[in-house]
Amino acid sequence: MESRLLRVNLSTGELTGEVIPHSVFERWIGGSGINNWILWEHFLTHDINCDPRGPDNIFIFGVGPLAGSGAGSGVKGRITFKSPCYNMFGDSAGGGKFPYMVRFSGYEYIAITGRAPRPVYLHICNGEVELRDAAHLWGRDTAETHALLQQELGDYPSKAHTLTISQAGEKQVGIAGVVSDALRIHARGGGGAVLGSKNLKAIAVQGNGGIRIQRPDNMLAWSDDFRQRIDGNEAVYGFKRRGTLGAVEMYQHIGSHFWRNNQGNMFRGDEIRSDNWVKKYHKYSEVCSSDCFIACDGKYKIDGSESEAAKKYAGETFRRPEYLTTGSAAGALDVRDWAEVAHWGKLTNDYGIDNQDLSCSIAFLMELRERDLISDRDVAELFGHEQTLRWGNMDDIEACVDAIVFQKNPFGELFRDGPYYGALKYSEMKGQNFMKYATYGKGGASFTEEMRPFPTWMNNMAVASRGADHLKGIGLIEKFQRKDLSRIYFDGRTEAADLSTPELKGACTALVENQVALLNSYGVCLFHWMLDPAGYTPQDYYGQAYAAATGIDYTPEELMLAGERICNLEKAFNSRVGMRREHDTVCERWMWEPNPEGMYEGKVAADMFDTVLDEYYEWRGWDRESGLQTRERLKRLGMDDVAEVLAADGALI
Amino acid sequence: MSAVRQKEMVTGRIDYPRGAEVPNVVEKLFALRNQCTECNVCEVACSLAHSPDGTINPQYARLRIDHAPHKPSRVNPLGIGFVAEICHHCGNPPPCADVCPVDGAFYYDPETKAAIIDQDNCIQCMECVPGCPFDVVFVAPSGELLKCDLCGGDPVCVKACATRPEMLNEGKQYVRLPVLFHEEQAAFNAISKQKPEARDEVGMMQAMLERGEISSSA
Amino acid sequence: MITVHAEFHSHFREIAATARDSFELEEPLVAELAERISERYGEKMRAMLIDPETRELNERGTMFVDTSGRRISMDDTLEDGETITFLVGIAGG
Repeated sequence: MESRLLRVNLSTGELTGEVIPHSVFERWIGGSGINNWILWEHFLTHDINCDPRGPDNIFIFGVGPLAGSGAGSGVKGRITFKSPCYNMFGDSAGGGKFPYMVRFSGYEYIAITGRAPRPVYLHICNGEVELRDAAHLWGRDTAETHALLQQELGDYPSKAHTLTISQAGEKQVGIAGVVSDALRIHARGGGGAVLGSKNLKAIAVQGNGGIRIQRPDNMLAWSDDFRQRIDGNEAVYGFKRRGTLGAVEMYQHIGSHFWRNNQGNMFRGDEIRSDNWVKKYHKYSEVCSSDCFIACDGKYKIDGSESEAAKKYAGETFRRPEYLTTGSAAGALDVRDWAEVAHWGKLTNDYGIDNQDLSCSIAFLMELRERDLISDRDVAELFGHEQTLRWGNMDDIEACVDAIVFQKNPFGELFRDGPYYGALKYSEMKGQNFMKYATYGKGGASFTEEMRPFPTWMNNMAVASRGADHLKGIGLIEKFQRKDLSRIYFDGRTEAADLSTPELKGACTALVENQVALLNSYGVCLFHWMLDPAGYTPQDYYGQAYAAATGIDYTPEELMLAGERICNLEKAFNSRVGMRREHDTVCERWMWEPNPEGMYEGKVAADMFDTVLDEYYEWRGWDRESGLQTRERLKRLGMDDVAEVLAADGALI
Repeated sequence: MSAVRQKEMVTGRIDYPRGAEVPNVVEKLFALRNQCTECNVCEVACSLAHSPDGTINPQYARLRIDHAPHKPSRVNPLGIGFVAEICHHCGNPPPCADVCPVDGAFYYDPETKAAIIDQDNCIQCMECVPGCPFDVVFVAPSGELLKCDLCGGDPVCVKACATRPEMLNEGKQYVRLPVLFHEEQAAFNAISKQKPEARDEVGMMQAMLERGEISSSA
Repeated sequence: MITVHAEFHSHFREIAATARDSFELEEPLVAELAERISERYGEKMRAMLIDPETRELNERGTMFVDTSGRRISMDDTLEDGETITFLVGIAGG
């Protein structure tokens, strides 16, 4: 297995192709693993404490060996960089056609450094690389940019597929993401701001090269089996229809939404509580990721006749909202009309901005106003004009979005790095402590879901390498109370699936983080794994597909070690920028305010938080006091070189 | 790319003399419109199955699904047309083979009766490309001509095509179907004429709300 | 003989074509409830509820909870008048 890496230095205009040798795959698997390694190596020669918006930061795009390999497990690309909004490790995944097409253009990994003197875009076509002027694209949103590029580049040797930033990225808004083919966003961490700071508007790929599969017969056999397992589970058909939107009713039932900045945990409004709305707006099934046997995506179209609010959006068509699009609009901001929720999804995507950070920032301000902690005059001071802040009012919400995307006024400037830093800055500005009303973990905006009853999820929020995050160690065993899986993973013990005890919760985070790191390195989608075609084991079952694609035969144990290695490299990056145990924490609202309603009413994170965190460090083999990694564990993982670097920085025990 | 792997996939070889009567293909490939998600799995699987060295490249696939996003169609006036470019396996000998100037460049699979291009004998004159009335003989980037061979009777594209859930149209459901089929014409006609299931779910849910069967706190 | 209520959501509701139903059980066992529901609503419902390999409740992509939010399993006992909720187990997005 070998892969091709393109290095782009925007300052000098230098473009160099490199081969990533087999040995790197043996250590780092692919995808996010290799991205992390490129990031780590970059910061051995560059100052890791550099300004993430400066030319010294690096932006890496990579795609794992199973992406577009015929495995049928979806395609996810990954961007990795030093996060400008959280000032630590940052990465984000996204689907669509770009990560699949990039493999046919001649490169699978792209590492971008420096800063272009004027706006440019990167064009890759069958191995030919060029930086082109992007003056005509500057100032446009992602949908316009994508359409212009597709038109400009034509259909030969293939249609062009793009990775673009919006005006928010250009203005280096910390919560701006990067959008693949104008449909699917790599939202988290501020990749858009990094590209914006580098004056790189877009990456466009075209190509008709091939992807080499080492053992094609094994791959065909594996994918055949995989498809049968997927289609053999009736629950998958519900998922194919609704995607993650199907979670709305489950979350409503158990009280797991994030209503009005998490002052509650259930949606209000009759229609919005059910996923039934999908039948009203859902029109077409196109716009899927490539190479996926589930194809959960869909498309909506608003006729205008569905509701009063829908009139305004008549004719609008876009991807059907996912759960978190819904959770951020119907939950955090209390929007009660589905047409508006759908429009919110399109808006945040066109502006290429993370809807979690965005909604938590807006909800924070709305709550302050609702509680009369700030006056209309204070709000006018932030916006430069009178501005109402009503829950669920799309005009008010769009005014806030515009403020942040276009950096129009003090509100936009304060909250450009999400709710945590926004709340800190605003508290300082007003001389009052508003932190009680900000929802975050480890500096990152909350995922718009109720976390308090779920100790593993809460632990995820506190320890995830890129700030509050449920995707790094996704705690499904706990949330769905999967005793069967707990038994498999923990020698017959079932506590990981029991919400009433802190036992095995930290262990579960550590274990699943390793598994997810592995899946992200394969370059596949997490949903296939979530639907559990083969017992939740990315190391066994997916490992066979990895062997078919790469020709590397790993035992499941070796793959799990590789997953752990990848997590440890992310941790090492954060230790180098000064993150310690005290940063592995969550907001006051979760820690101390009792869960206000629902099935698990009364729970606070503080009940179990420290016990779970201790257990997490213990399973990780890290130091409990400082949260730092130990030489012993890194040695066992074959990461002596990383240990040396950490020791030199005083970040190793 | 050579034809070695393709020869492995078909069940054998019959060469009919020119003008001889050739039995027709019975089970052909079909696609259902309006169900495809453009997941590309069929193209990926086809190119992988036929590639001698295990290379995936949709440009080497023997079928193409094009969603032509700027081309309006009857089913989708918004301009997301759906074009399934699949070999129709015309009555034998098919027009593509008929126009071929070379003896032995086309042969027939004894099992499926599909006409197949023998890459060793093909001189890449490309006569068959305009010869095909449906534009489904493709030219690979290497110059090789690509035509569907039905994989010896078990087409990988059909196997790979994800089964679609009941898709919704005007509040009604279709039955659960994939997009690609390998069937006899009559059987496919029956499938494509299947009526949507009679369950109108939006109406059903509204009625349940009115009867108070669904609580708003559900 | 006890009566147990079932509440169906999402895909379950689609299959059942109703949001709520009641079942009379000879034995107060989840196993019997699963069997009764499958009988009433057919093969798709059976496939959602019961894993054909293990004969346990199908845990993949589903979530069956009692009123206190605890996941039920085949050998759990039920009480008269209890409500069991059938949900799809999907998270994130």
